[in-house]
Amino acid sequence: MPYIAKLEKAGIPTVLIDLEDQHEMVKQEALAAGVPNIRYIPASRTIPGPEDVEEWIAPMLEMLTRPLTEKEKESGMYTPAQDRILFEGTLDEAQEFYQQTRIVPEPLNAPISVYTDGLPIIIPTEERVKEMLKGTSHKPEELITYQSDRGGRFDRSLNKGDVVRFQPRLFTATVEKVAVNAVMAGCKPEHLPAVLAIAESGVQTGTTVFNNQWMCLSGPYAKEVGMNAGLGMLGPGNPAGMAIGRAYQLMAINLGGAIPGINRMSSIGSPINRVGLAFAECADKLPPGWKGLNEEFGFKKDDSVILVMGTEGGLNGAQFSPGGYRALQKSGHGGMARKLGVKGIPGPHNWLDWILPDIWVGEREGGRIFIMVHEMAKHLYDIGYKSKGEVLEYIWKKSFEPLKKYRDRSWVDLTTNGWLGNEPQSGKPWKELPDDYMVPAGGDKPDSSCIIVCGSDEEICFEITGSVRGMWGSQPVYSIDAWR
Amino acid sequence: MAEKDQIYRCLNPVGIELPVKTSPLAPRLDTLDGKTVHFSITGEPDITIALDKRLKADYPNVNWTTKKSYTPMPVQLSEEEMKTTDAVILGVCW
Repeated sequence: MPYIAKLEKAGIPTVLIDLEDQHEMVKQEALAAGVPNIRYIPASRTIPGPEDVEEWIAPMLEMLTRPLTEKEKESGMYTPAQDRILFEGTLDEAQEFYQQTRIVPEPLNAPISVYTDGLPIIIPTEERVKEMLKGTSHKPEELITYQSDRGGRFDRSLNKGDVVRFQPRLFTATVEKVAVNAVMAGCKPEHLPAVLAIAESGVQTGTTVFNNQWMCLSGPYAKEVGMNAGLGMLGPGNPAGMAIGRAYQLMAINLGGAIPGINRMSSIGSPINRVGLAFAECADKLPPGWKGLNEEFGFKKDDSVILVMGTEGGLNGAQFSPGGYRALQKSGHGGMARKLGVKGIPGPHNWLDWILPDIWVGEREGGRIFIMVHEMAKHLYDIGYKSKGEVLEYIWKKSFEPLKKYRDRSWVDLTTNGWLGNEPQSGKPWKELPDDYMVPAGGDKPDSSCIIVCGSDEEICFEITGSVRGMWGSQPVYSIDAWR
Repeated sequence: MAEKDQIYRCLNPVGIELPVKTSPLAPRLDTLDGKTVHFSITGEPDITIALDKRLKADYPNVNWTTKKSYTPMPVQLSEEEMKTTDAVILGVCW
Protein backbone atom coordinates (compact mmCIF):
# COMPACT_ATOMS: atom_id res chain seq x y z
CA MET A 1 0.00 0.00 0.00
CA PRO A 2 2.78 2.53 0.68
CA TYR A 3 3.86 2.00 -2.94
CA ILE A 4 0.38 2.67 -4.30
CA ALA A 5 0.18 5.78 -2.13
CA LYS A 6 3.56 6.98 -3.38
CA LEU A 7 2.44 6.59 -7.00
CA GLU A 8 -0.90 8.34 -6.52
CA LYS A 9 0.75 11.22 -4.66
CA ALA A 10 3.25 11.51 -7.50
CA GLY A 11 0.36 11.99 -9.94
CA ILE A 12 0.35 8.46 -11.37
CA PRO A 13 -3.15 6.93 -11.41
CA THR A 14 -3.33 3.35 -10.16
CA VAL A 15 -5.68 0.44 -9.78
CA LEU A 16 -5.17 -2.42 -7.32
CA ILE A 17 -6.28 -6.00 -7.96
CA ASP A 18 -7.07 -7.72 -4.66
CA LEU A 19 -9.19 -10.65 -3.49
CA GLU A 20 -12.77 -9.91 -2.49
CA ASP A 21 -12.47 -10.93 1.15
CA GLN A 22 -9.54 -8.56 1.53
CA HIS A 23 -11.44 -5.36 0.71
CA GLU A 24 -11.73 -4.17 4.32
CA MET A 25 -8.03 -4.67 4.87
CA VAL A 26 -7.29 -2.76 1.65
CA LYS A 27 -9.47 0.15 2.81
CA GLN A 28 -7.79 0.27 6.23
CA GLU A 29 -4.30 0.22 4.77
CA ALA A 30 -5.22 2.80 2.15
CA LEU A 31 -6.38 5.19 4.87
CA ALA A 32 -3.24 4.61 6.93
CA ALA A 33 -1.16 5.36 3.82
CA GLY A 34 -3.05 8.62 3.18
CA VAL A 35 -4.99 7.59 0.08
CA PRO A 36 -8.34 6.46 1.44
CA ASN A 37 -10.13 6.43 -1.90
CA ILE A 38 -7.86 4.16 -3.95
CA ARG A 39 -9.55 2.22 -6.70
CA TYR A 40 -9.47 -1.55 -6.50
CA ILE A 41 -11.14 -4.55 -8.09
CA PRO A 42 -11.33 -8.15 -6.87
CA ALA A 43 -9.96 -11.21 -8.59
CA SER A 44 -11.35 -14.64 -7.84
CA ARG A 45 -9.85 -17.23 -5.53
CA THR A 46 -11.37 -20.06 -7.54
CA ILE A 47 -12.14 -19.16 -11.17
CA PRO A 48 -9.26 -20.06 -13.52
CA GLY A 49 -7.18 -17.03 -14.55
CA PRO A 50 -8.23 -16.57 -18.18
CA GLU A 51 -11.98 -16.72 -17.36
CA ASP A 52 -11.51 -14.53 -14.31
CA VAL A 53 -9.59 -11.88 -16.24
CA GLU A 54 -12.29 -11.86 -18.92
CA GLU A 55 -14.81 -10.78 -16.24
CA TRP A 56 -13.00 -7.70 -14.97
CA ILE A 57 -10.29 -6.56 -17.39
CA ALA A 58 -12.45 -3.85 -18.94
CA PRO A 59 -13.81 -2.39 -15.67
CA MET A 60 -10.31 -2.55 -14.22
CA LEU A 61 -8.85 -0.46 -17.02
CA GLU A 62 -11.80 1.90 -16.82
CA MET A 63 -10.63 2.73 -13.30
CA LEU A 64 -7.57 4.34 -14.88
CA THR A 65 -9.64 6.61 -17.16
CA ARG A 66 -12.98 7.32 -15.44
CA PRO A 67 -12.81 10.89 -14.06
CA LEU A 68 -12.48 11.32 -10.33
CA THR A 69 -15.55 11.86 -8.18
CA GLU A 70 -15.70 14.79 -5.76
CA LYS A 71 -14.90 12.43 -2.91
CA GLU A 72 -11.83 11.11 -4.70
CA LYS A 73 -10.60 14.69 -5.14
CA GLU A 74 -10.75 15.38 -1.38
CA SER A 75 -7.73 15.99 0.79
CA GLY A 76 -7.36 16.86 4.43
CA MET A 77 -6.40 15.43 7.77
CA TYR A 78 -7.87 12.29 9.27
CA THR A 79 -7.74 12.95 13.00
CA PRO A 80 -9.44 10.18 14.93
CA ALA A 81 -10.43 11.22 18.41
CA GLN A 82 -9.78 9.00 21.37
CA ASP A 83 -10.76 9.30 24.98
CA ARG A 84 -8.55 8.07 27.78
CA ILE A 85 -11.65 6.99 29.71
CA LEU A 86 -13.62 4.50 27.64
CA PHE A 87 -16.47 3.83 30.04
CA GLU A 88 -17.88 5.03 33.33
CA GLY A 89 -20.23 2.88 35.36
CA THR A 90 -20.50 -0.04 37.75
CA LEU A 91 -18.26 -3.07 37.33
CA ASP A 92 -21.15 -5.15 36.02
CA GLU A 93 -22.03 -2.47 33.48
CA ALA A 94 -18.38 -2.20 32.52
CA GLN A 95 -18.10 -5.95 31.97
CA GLU A 96 -21.07 -5.82 29.62
CA PHE A 97 -19.58 -2.86 27.79
CA TYR A 98 -16.10 -4.32 27.38
CA GLN A 99 -17.55 -7.62 26.17
CA GLN A 100 -19.55 -6.05 23.35
CA THR A 101 -19.25 -7.69 19.95
CA ARG A 102 -19.58 -6.72 16.30
CA ILE A 103 -20.72 -8.94 13.47
CA VAL A 104 -17.89 -9.43 11.01
CA PRO A 105 -19.30 -10.26 7.58
CA GLU A 106 -18.14 -12.99 5.20
CA PRO A 107 -15.76 -14.73 5.13
CA LEU A 108 -16.37 -14.82 8.91
CA ASN A 109 -20.07 -14.08 9.46
CA ALA A 110 -20.13 -14.28 13.27
CA PRO A 111 -19.83 -11.97 16.30
CA ILE A 112 -16.31 -10.97 17.27
CA SER A 113 -15.44 -9.18 20.52
CA VAL A 114 -14.49 -5.55 20.12
CA TYR A 115 -12.12 -5.24 23.09
CA THR A 116 -11.48 -8.77 24.33
CA ASP A 117 -10.49 -12.21 23.10
CA GLY A 118 -14.06 -13.35 23.51
CA LEU A 119 -13.82 -13.97 27.24
CA PRO A 120 -14.60 -11.69 30.20
CA ILE A 121 -11.72 -9.56 31.35
CA ILE A 122 -10.57 -7.81 34.51
CA ILE A 123 -12.06 -4.35 34.17
CA PRO A 124 -9.27 -1.78 33.79
CA THR A 125 -10.42 0.79 36.33
CA GLU A 126 -8.20 3.79 36.93
CA GLU A 127 -7.27 2.33 40.31
CA ARG A 128 -6.25 -1.04 38.89
CA VAL A 129 -4.20 0.50 36.09
CA LYS A 130 -2.44 2.79 38.58
CA GLU A 131 -1.58 -0.26 40.65
CA MET A 132 -0.37 -2.13 37.56
CA LEU A 133 1.95 0.75 36.65
CA LYS A 134 3.90 0.13 39.86
CA GLY A 135 5.41 -2.80 38.00
CA THR A 136 7.64 -0.57 35.88
CA SER A 137 9.84 2.49 36.31
CA HIS A 138 8.74 3.80 32.90
CA LYS A 139 6.33 6.72 32.93
CA PRO A 140 2.69 6.08 31.97
CA GLU A 141 2.75 8.66 29.18
CA GLU A 142 5.92 7.27 27.61
CA LEU A 143 5.42 5.94 24.09
CA ILE A 144 6.45 2.34 23.50
CA THR A 145 9.73 2.47 21.57
CA TYR A 146 12.37 -0.07 20.64
CA GLN A 147 14.86 -0.39 23.49
CA SER A 148 17.62 -1.60 21.17
CA ASP A 149 18.42 -1.91 17.45
CA ARG A 150 16.43 -4.83 16.06
CA GLY A 151 17.66 -5.22 12.51
CA GLY A 152 15.11 -6.17 9.89
CA ARG A 153 14.72 -6.88 6.19
CA PHE A 154 13.25 -5.42 3.02
CA ASP A 155 12.93 -1.71 3.71
CA ARG A 156 12.02 -2.13 7.37
CA SER A 157 14.90 -1.62 9.77
CA LEU A 158 13.84 -1.22 13.39
CA ASN A 159 16.18 0.96 15.48
CA LYS A 160 16.51 1.93 19.12
CA GLY A 161 14.22 4.82 19.89
CA ASP A 162 11.88 4.22 16.95
CA VAL A 163 8.25 4.29 17.97
CA VAL A 164 6.68 0.84 17.82
CA ARG A 165 3.83 0.67 15.31
CA PHE A 166 1.51 -2.12 16.33
CA GLN A 167 0.36 -4.44 13.59
CA PRO A 168 -1.80 -4.42 11.58
CA ARG A 169 -3.26 -0.91 12.03
CA LEU A 170 0.12 0.72 12.81
CA PHE A 171 -1.24 2.28 16.00
CA THR A 172 1.08 3.51 18.70
CA ALA A 173 0.71 3.04 22.45
CA THR A 174 1.88 4.40 25.75
CA VAL A 175 3.10 2.47 28.76
CA GLU A 176 -0.31 3.16 30.31
CA LYS A 177 -2.12 1.59 27.34
CA VAL A 178 -0.03 -1.55 27.77
CA ALA A 179 -0.87 -1.53 31.49
CA VAL A 180 -4.58 -1.30 30.66
CA ASN A 181 -4.32 -4.44 28.52
CA ALA A 182 -2.23 -6.15 31.20
CA VAL A 183 -4.98 -5.51 33.76
CA MET A 184 -7.56 -6.90 31.35
CA ALA A 185 -5.48 -10.03 30.86
CA GLY A 186 -5.36 -10.72 34.58
CA CYS A 187 -1.71 -9.77 35.04
CA LYS A 188 -0.17 -8.60 38.29
CA PRO A 189 2.17 -5.59 38.47
CA GLU A 190 5.22 -7.86 38.53
CA HIS A 191 4.15 -9.21 35.12
CA LEU A 192 4.21 -5.77 33.53
CA PRO A 193 7.90 -5.75 32.49
CA ALA A 194 7.31 -8.92 30.46
CA VAL A 195 4.13 -7.48 28.95
CA LEU A 196 5.98 -4.29 28.00
CA ALA A 197 8.73 -6.36 26.38
CA ILE A 198 6.04 -8.19 24.43
CA ALA A 199 4.54 -4.84 23.41
CA GLU A 200 7.95 -3.82 22.08
CA SER A 201 7.58 -6.62 19.51
CA GLY A 202 4.60 -4.86 17.91
CA VAL A 203 2.43 -7.93 18.56
CA GLN A 204 2.13 -9.02 14.95
CA THR A 205 -0.65 -11.39 13.97
CA GLY A 206 0.74 -12.66 10.67
CA THR A 207 -0.92 -12.98 7.31
CA THR A 208 -3.43 -15.25 5.74
CA VAL A 209 -2.02 -18.64 6.53
CA PHE A 210 -1.40 -20.12 9.94
CA ASN A 211 0.54 -17.73 12.11
CA ASN A 212 1.12 -18.83 15.68
CA GLN A 213 2.07 -16.22 18.25
CA TRP A 214 3.89 -17.54 21.31
CA MET A 215 6.55 -16.51 23.78
CA CYS A 216 9.31 -18.14 25.80
CA LEU A 217 10.95 -16.43 28.77
CA SER A 218 14.59 -16.92 29.67
CA GLY A 219 16.52 -15.68 32.69
CA PRO A 220 15.82 -15.21 36.40
CA TYR A 221 12.65 -13.18 35.89
CA ALA A 222 10.71 -16.33 34.96
CA LYS A 223 11.24 -17.78 38.43
CA GLU A 224 10.66 -14.42 40.11
CA VAL A 225 7.12 -14.31 38.79
CA GLY A 226 6.47 -18.04 39.09
CA MET A 227 6.38 -19.14 35.43
CA ASN A 228 6.06 -22.86 34.73
CA ALA A 229 9.12 -24.32 33.05
CA GLY A 230 8.28 -27.90 33.94
CA LEU A 231 5.56 -30.41 33.24
CA GLY A 232 2.70 -28.94 31.23
CA MET A 233 4.44 -25.67 30.54
CA LEU A 234 2.56 -25.24 27.25
CA GLY A 235 -0.70 -26.08 28.98
CA PRO A 236 -3.09 -24.31 31.34
CA GLY A 237 -2.92 -23.66 35.06
CA ASN A 238 0.04 -21.36 35.65
CA PRO A 239 -1.29 -17.86 36.48
CA ALA A 240 1.80 -15.96 35.29
CA GLY A 241 2.05 -17.88 32.02
CA MET A 242 -1.65 -17.64 31.27
CA ALA A 243 -1.87 -13.90 32.03
CA ILE A 244 1.29 -12.92 30.17
CA GLY A 245 0.29 -15.03 27.18
CA ARG A 246 -3.18 -13.54 27.17
CA ALA A 247 -1.75 -10.03 27.29
CA TYR A 248 -0.22 -10.60 23.86
CA GLN A 249 -3.56 -11.41 22.29
CA LEU A 250 -5.38 -8.53 23.99
CA MET A 251 -2.67 -6.14 22.83
CA ALA A 252 -2.94 -7.52 19.30
CA ILE A 253 -6.68 -6.82 19.40
CA ASN A 254 -6.53 -3.41 21.03
CA LEU A 255 -3.11 -1.90 20.34
CA GLY A 256 -2.80 -3.50 16.93
CA GLY A 257 -6.43 -3.33 15.92
CA ALA A 258 -6.40 -6.93 14.69
CA ILE A 259 -9.87 -8.17 13.77
CA PRO A 260 -10.43 -11.68 12.38
CA GLY A 261 -12.00 -11.49 8.96
CA ILE A 262 -11.00 -7.86 8.43
CA ASN A 263 -7.25 -7.66 8.82
CA ARG A 264 -6.34 -10.79 10.76
CA MET A 265 -6.88 -13.22 7.95
CA SER A 266 -5.38 -16.45 9.24
CA SER A 267 -7.71 -18.75 7.36
CA ILE A 268 -8.68 -21.34 9.93
CA GLY A 269 -7.02 -19.52 12.83
CA SER A 270 -4.72 -21.20 15.33
CA PRO A 271 -5.49 -22.74 18.71
CA ILE A 272 -2.13 -21.45 19.95
CA ASN A 273 -3.52 -17.92 19.71
CA ARG A 274 -6.58 -18.66 21.81
CA VAL A 275 -5.88 -16.88 25.10
CA GLY A 276 -2.19 -16.68 24.12
CA LEU A 277 0.82 -18.88 24.88
CA ALA A 278 3.72 -17.91 27.15
CA PHE A 279 6.06 -20.31 28.94
CA ALA A 280 9.61 -20.40 30.24
CA GLU A 281 12.65 -22.48 29.36
CA CYS A 282 14.02 -24.69 32.11
CA ALA A 283 17.52 -23.26 32.39
CA ASP A 284 18.20 -25.26 35.58
CA LYS A 285 18.07 -28.52 33.66
CA LEU A 286 20.11 -27.55 30.61
CA PRO A 287 22.96 -29.99 29.99
CA PRO A 288 26.41 -28.65 30.90
CA GLY A 289 27.57 -26.09 28.37
CA TRP A 290 24.18 -25.69 26.72
CA LYS A 291 23.25 -22.03 26.76
CA GLY A 292 19.90 -20.59 27.60
CA LEU A 293 18.01 -18.50 25.07
CA ASN A 294 19.28 -15.32 26.68
CA GLU A 295 22.93 -16.18 26.10
CA GLU A 296 22.21 -17.59 22.64
CA PHE A 297 20.84 -14.22 21.58
CA GLY A 298 23.69 -12.15 22.93
CA PHE A 299 22.47 -11.44 26.44
CA LYS A 300 24.12 -12.48 29.69
CA LYS A 301 23.16 -15.53 31.71
CA ASP A 302 21.47 -13.38 34.37
CA ASP A 303 19.61 -11.19 31.89
CA SER A 304 15.89 -11.74 31.63
CA VAL A 305 14.51 -11.79 28.12
CA ILE A 306 11.50 -12.94 26.18
CA LEU A 307 11.52 -14.64 22.78
CA VAL A 308 8.45 -13.33 20.92
CA MET A 309 7.60 -15.46 17.95
CA GLY A 310 5.13 -15.57 15.10
CA THR A 311 5.74 -18.89 13.39
CA GLU A 312 3.96 -19.95 10.23
CA GLY A 313 3.09 -23.57 10.67
CA GLY A 314 1.83 -26.08 13.13
CA LEU A 315 2.85 -27.96 16.21
CA ASN A 316 4.10 -31.51 15.74
CA GLY A 317 4.94 -34.05 18.35
CA ALA A 318 4.24 -37.38 19.95
CA GLN A 319 5.81 -39.22 17.03
CA PHE A 320 7.00 -41.76 19.56
CA SER A 321 5.57 -42.95 22.86
CA PRO A 322 7.44 -42.04 26.05
CA GLY A 323 7.61 -45.73 26.89
CA GLY A 324 9.02 -46.42 23.44
CA TYR A 325 11.67 -43.78 24.05
CA ARG A 326 12.64 -45.30 27.38
CA ALA A 327 12.86 -48.75 25.80
CA LEU A 328 15.18 -47.36 23.14
CA GLN A 329 17.52 -45.69 25.59
CA LYS A 330 17.48 -48.20 28.45
CA SER A 331 17.90 -51.44 26.57
CA GLY A 332 17.56 -50.88 22.82
CA HIS A 333 14.11 -52.37 22.37
CA GLY A 334 10.92 -51.38 20.57
CA GLY A 335 10.12 -49.65 17.31
CA MET A 336 12.55 -46.82 17.80
CA ALA A 337 15.42 -49.26 18.32
CA ARG A 338 14.34 -51.28 15.28
CA LYS A 339 14.36 -48.19 13.07
CA LEU A 340 17.76 -47.10 14.34
CA GLY A 341 19.21 -50.61 14.03
CA VAL A 342 20.28 -50.77 17.69
CA LYS A 343 18.13 -53.64 18.86
CA GLY A 344 19.36 -54.96 22.16
CA ILE A 345 22.00 -52.26 22.59
CA PRO A 346 21.48 -49.97 25.58
CA GLY A 347 21.73 -46.22 24.91
CA PRO A 348 22.14 -43.39 24.94
CA HIS A 349 21.18 -43.37 21.25
CA ASN A 350 20.72 -40.41 18.97
CA TRP A 351 16.94 -40.19 19.03
CA LEU A 352 17.07 -37.33 16.52
CA ASP A 353 17.75 -39.92 13.85
CA TRP A 354 14.34 -41.35 14.55
CA ILE A 355 12.45 -38.10 13.73
CA LEU A 356 14.82 -36.76 11.06
CA PRO A 357 14.43 -36.01 8.23
CA ASP A 358 10.77 -37.08 8.36
CA ILE A 359 9.68 -33.88 10.11
CA TRP A 360 10.12 -32.13 6.77
CA VAL A 361 8.40 -34.82 4.67
CA GLY A 362 5.01 -33.52 3.66
CA GLU A 363 5.51 -30.58 5.99
CA ARG A 364 6.65 -27.07 5.38
CA GLU A 365 10.33 -26.50 4.80
CA GLY A 366 12.28 -24.19 7.09
CA GLY A 367 13.43 -24.06 10.67
CA ARG A 368 11.84 -25.75 13.63
CA ILE A 369 11.60 -24.90 17.31
CA PHE A 370 12.46 -28.12 19.14
CA ILE A 371 10.93 -28.21 22.61
CA MET A 372 12.43 -31.25 24.33
CA VAL A 373 12.38 -32.51 27.89
CA HIS A 374 15.62 -32.31 29.85
CA GLU A 375 16.28 -36.05 29.82
CA MET A 376 16.29 -36.11 26.04
CA ALA A 377 18.59 -33.08 25.94
CA LYS A 378 20.91 -34.86 28.37
CA HIS A 379 21.01 -37.94 26.15
CA LEU A 380 22.16 -35.77 23.26
CA TYR A 381 24.83 -34.29 25.52
CA ASP A 382 25.94 -37.77 26.57
CA ILE A 383 26.23 -38.82 22.95
CA GLY A 384 28.60 -35.93 22.39
CA TYR A 385 26.67 -32.77 21.56
CA LYS A 386 28.33 -30.32 23.93
CA SER A 387 26.26 -27.36 22.79
CA LYS A 388 22.87 -26.59 21.27
CA GLY A 389 24.75 -25.30 18.24
CA GLU A 390 26.20 -28.74 17.56
CA VAL A 391 22.75 -30.29 17.74
CA LEU A 392 21.32 -27.68 15.37
CA GLU A 393 24.19 -28.25 12.96
CA TYR A 394 23.39 -31.96 12.92
CA ILE A 395 19.67 -31.38 12.44
CA TRP A 396 20.31 -28.95 9.60
CA LYS A 397 22.62 -31.33 7.77
CA LYS A 398 20.02 -34.08 8.02
CA SER A 399 17.50 -31.81 6.28
CA PHE A 400 19.29 -31.68 2.92
CA GLU A 401 17.34 -33.02 -0.05
CA PRO A 402 17.76 -32.97 -3.84
CA LEU A 403 16.67 -29.77 -5.61
CA LYS A 404 14.28 -31.83 -7.73
CA LYS A 405 12.41 -32.81 -4.56
CA TYR A 406 12.73 -29.32 -3.06
CA ARG A 407 11.01 -27.84 -6.13
CA ASP A 408 7.95 -29.96 -5.41
CA ARG A 409 7.31 -27.93 -2.27
CA SER A 410 4.87 -25.04 -2.39
CA TRP A 411 6.17 -22.07 -0.40
CA VAL A 412 9.47 -22.25 -2.23
CA ASP A 413 7.96 -20.58 -5.31
CA LEU A 414 7.41 -17.53 -3.11
CA THR A 415 10.46 -17.71 -0.85
CA THR A 416 12.78 -17.97 -3.85
CA ASN A 417 10.79 -15.25 -5.62
CA GLY A 418 9.93 -17.53 -8.51
CA TRP A 419 13.42 -19.10 -8.53
CA LEU A 420 14.91 -15.76 -9.49
CA GLY A 421 18.11 -14.86 -7.71
CA ASN A 422 20.70 -17.10 -6.14
CA GLU A 423 20.63 -20.18 -3.95
CA PRO A 424 22.06 -19.12 -0.56
CA GLN A 425 24.53 -21.97 0.01
CA SER A 426 26.26 -21.95 -3.38
CA GLY A 427 25.57 -18.37 -4.42
CA LYS A 428 24.61 -19.67 -7.86
CA PRO A 429 21.37 -18.89 -9.72
CA TRP A 430 18.66 -21.33 -8.78
CA LYS A 431 17.83 -21.95 -12.41
CA GLU A 432 21.38 -23.10 -13.18
CA LEU A 433 21.54 -25.75 -10.46
CA PRO A 434 21.14 -29.43 -11.36
CA ASP A 435 18.31 -31.61 -10.08
CA ASP A 436 20.60 -33.50 -7.73
CA TYR A 437 21.98 -30.38 -6.04
CA MET A 438 21.36 -30.78 -2.30
CA VAL A 439 19.31 -28.05 -0.61
CA PRO A 440 18.66 -27.70 3.15
CA ALA A 441 14.92 -28.10 3.76
CA GLY A 442 15.57 -27.10 7.36
CA GLY A 443 16.28 -23.45 6.66
CA ASP A 444 19.15 -21.43 5.25
CA LYS A 445 21.40 -22.11 8.23
CA PRO A 446 21.50 -24.24 11.37
CA ASP A 447 20.26 -21.47 13.64
CA SER A 448 17.11 -21.14 11.60
CA SER A 449 16.03 -23.65 14.24
CA CYS A 450 16.11 -23.38 17.99
CA ILE A 451 16.04 -25.68 21.04
CA ILE A 452 14.05 -25.02 24.19
CA VAL A 453 14.43 -27.40 27.12
CA CYS A 454 11.45 -28.25 29.31
CA GLY A 455 11.76 -29.46 32.89
CA SER A 456 9.18 -32.21 32.55
CA ASP A 457 10.21 -35.85 32.91
CA GLU A 458 7.83 -37.54 30.44
CA GLU A 459 9.85 -38.12 27.30
CA ILE A 460 8.43 -35.92 24.55
CA CYS A 461 9.79 -33.56 21.91
CA PHE A 462 7.50 -31.10 20.14
CA GLU A 463 8.45 -29.22 17.02
CA ILE A 464 6.89 -25.87 16.23
CA THR A 465 7.18 -25.17 12.52
CA GLY A 466 8.88 -21.89 11.74
CA SER A 467 12.21 -20.15 11.80
CA VAL A 468 13.60 -18.16 14.67
CA ARG A 469 12.98 -14.73 13.29
CA GLY A 470 10.98 -11.74 14.46
CA MET A 471 8.69 -9.44 12.54
CA TRP A 472 10.24 -8.26 9.28
CA GLY A 473 13.17 -10.57 9.97
CA SER A 474 14.18 -8.61 13.06
CA GLN A 475 15.80 -9.96 16.20
CA PRO A 476 13.00 -11.72 18.12
CA VAL A 477 14.34 -11.52 21.69
CA TYR A 478 13.41 -8.55 23.87
CA SER A 479 14.87 -7.48 27.19
CA ILE A 480 12.47 -7.72 30.11
CA ASP A 481 15.02 -5.94 32.31
CA ALA A 482 14.78 -2.85 30.09
CA TRP A 483 11.17 -2.50 31.16
CA ARG A 484 11.50 -3.05 34.91
CA MET B 1 -23.29 3.07 48.39
CA ALA B 2 -23.34 -0.67 47.91
CA GLU B 3 -20.14 -1.93 46.36
CA LYS B 4 -21.99 -3.19 43.31
CA ASP B 5 -23.35 0.31 42.67
CA GLN B 6 -19.97 2.03 42.86
CA ILE B 7 -19.06 3.93 39.71
CA TYR B 8 -15.65 3.42 38.17
CA ARG B 9 -13.77 5.21 35.42
CA CYS B 10 -12.46 2.53 33.08
CA LEU B 11 -9.57 3.12 30.74
CA ASN B 12 -9.36 2.72 26.98
CA PRO B 13 -7.17 -0.21 25.87
CA VAL B 14 -7.18 0.74 22.19
CA GLY B 15 -3.97 1.88 20.53
CA ILE B 16 -3.43 5.44 19.39
CA GLU B 17 -4.32 6.03 15.77
CA LEU B 18 -2.04 8.74 14.48
CA PRO B 19 -3.46 11.57 12.38
CA VAL B 20 -3.06 10.97 8.67
CA LYS B 21 -2.77 13.58 5.96
CA THR B 22 -5.06 12.35 3.21
CA SER B 23 -4.40 13.04 -0.44
CA PRO B 24 -6.69 13.09 -3.45
CA LEU B 25 -6.25 10.46 -6.10
CA ALA B 26 -4.14 11.33 -9.09
CA PRO B 27 -6.18 12.60 -12.07
CA ARG B 28 -7.16 9.81 -14.41
CA LEU B 29 -6.02 9.46 -17.98
CA ASP B 30 -8.18 10.70 -20.84
CA THR B 31 -7.27 7.61 -22.85
CA LEU B 32 -4.94 4.62 -22.60
CA ASP B 33 -3.85 4.86 -26.24
CA GLY B 34 -0.28 6.03 -26.59
CA LYS B 35 0.29 5.94 -22.85
CA THR B 36 2.88 3.97 -20.84
CA VAL B 37 1.04 1.72 -18.39
CA HIS B 38 3.04 -0.35 -15.93
CA PHE B 39 1.82 -3.74 -14.70
CA SER B 40 3.38 -4.47 -11.30
CA ILE B 41 2.99 -8.19 -10.70
CA THR B 42 2.92 -9.56 -7.17
CA GLY B 43 2.38 -13.29 -7.28
CA GLU B 44 -0.76 -15.23 -8.35
CA PRO B 45 0.69 -16.30 -11.70
CA ASP B 46 -2.54 -18.02 -12.70
CA ILE B 47 -4.17 -14.60 -12.82
CA THR B 48 -1.28 -12.33 -13.70
CA ILE B 49 0.06 -14.38 -16.62
CA ALA B 50 -3.41 -14.41 -18.15
CA LEU B 51 -3.88 -10.70 -17.51
CA ASP B 52 -0.48 -9.81 -18.94
CA LYS B 53 -1.32 -11.63 -22.17
CA ARG B 54 -4.75 -10.03 -22.50
CA LEU B 55 -3.48 -6.53 -21.85
CA LYS B 56 -0.87 -6.78 -24.58
CA ALA B 57 -3.21 -8.48 -27.04
CA ASP B 58 -6.30 -6.36 -26.46
CA TYR B 59 -4.61 -3.00 -26.06
CA PRO B 60 -1.77 -2.89 -28.58
CA ASN B 61 -1.71 0.91 -28.65
CA VAL B 62 -0.57 1.00 -25.02
CA ASN B 63 3.11 0.85 -24.15
CA TRP B 64 3.10 -1.90 -21.54
CA THR B 65 5.93 -2.26 -19.02
CA THR B 66 6.20 -4.97 -16.37
CA LYS B 67 8.09 -5.79 -13.20
CA LYS B 68 7.48 -9.09 -11.52
CA SER B 69 7.69 -10.43 -7.98
CA TYR B 70 6.37 -13.72 -6.70
CA THR B 71 6.00 -12.19 -3.23
CA PRO B 72 3.52 -9.56 -2.00
CA MET B 73 6.30 -6.93 -2.14
CA PRO B 74 6.26 -5.20 -5.54
CA VAL B 75 9.43 -4.40 -7.44
CA GLN B 76 9.08 -0.65 -7.45
CA LEU B 77 9.60 1.75 -10.31
CA SER B 78 12.67 3.91 -9.94
CA GLU B 79 12.28 7.68 -9.74
CA GLU B 80 13.41 7.88 -13.36
CA GLU B 81 10.94 5.24 -14.47
CA MET B 82 8.10 7.00 -12.66
CA LYS B 83 8.73 10.10 -14.79
CA THR B 84 7.82 8.21 -17.94
CA THR B 85 5.00 6.05 -16.51
CA ASP B 86 1.43 7.25 -17.01
CA ALA B 87 -0.46 4.66 -14.92
CA VAL B 88 0.11 1.54 -12.82
CA ILE B 89 -1.83 -1.69 -12.31
CA LEU B 90 -0.76 -3.60 -9.17
CA GLY B 91 -1.85 -7.12 -8.48
CA VAL B 92 -2.64 -9.47 -7.04
CA CYS B 93 -2.18 -8.38 -3.48
CA TRP B 94 -3.43 -10.60 -0.68
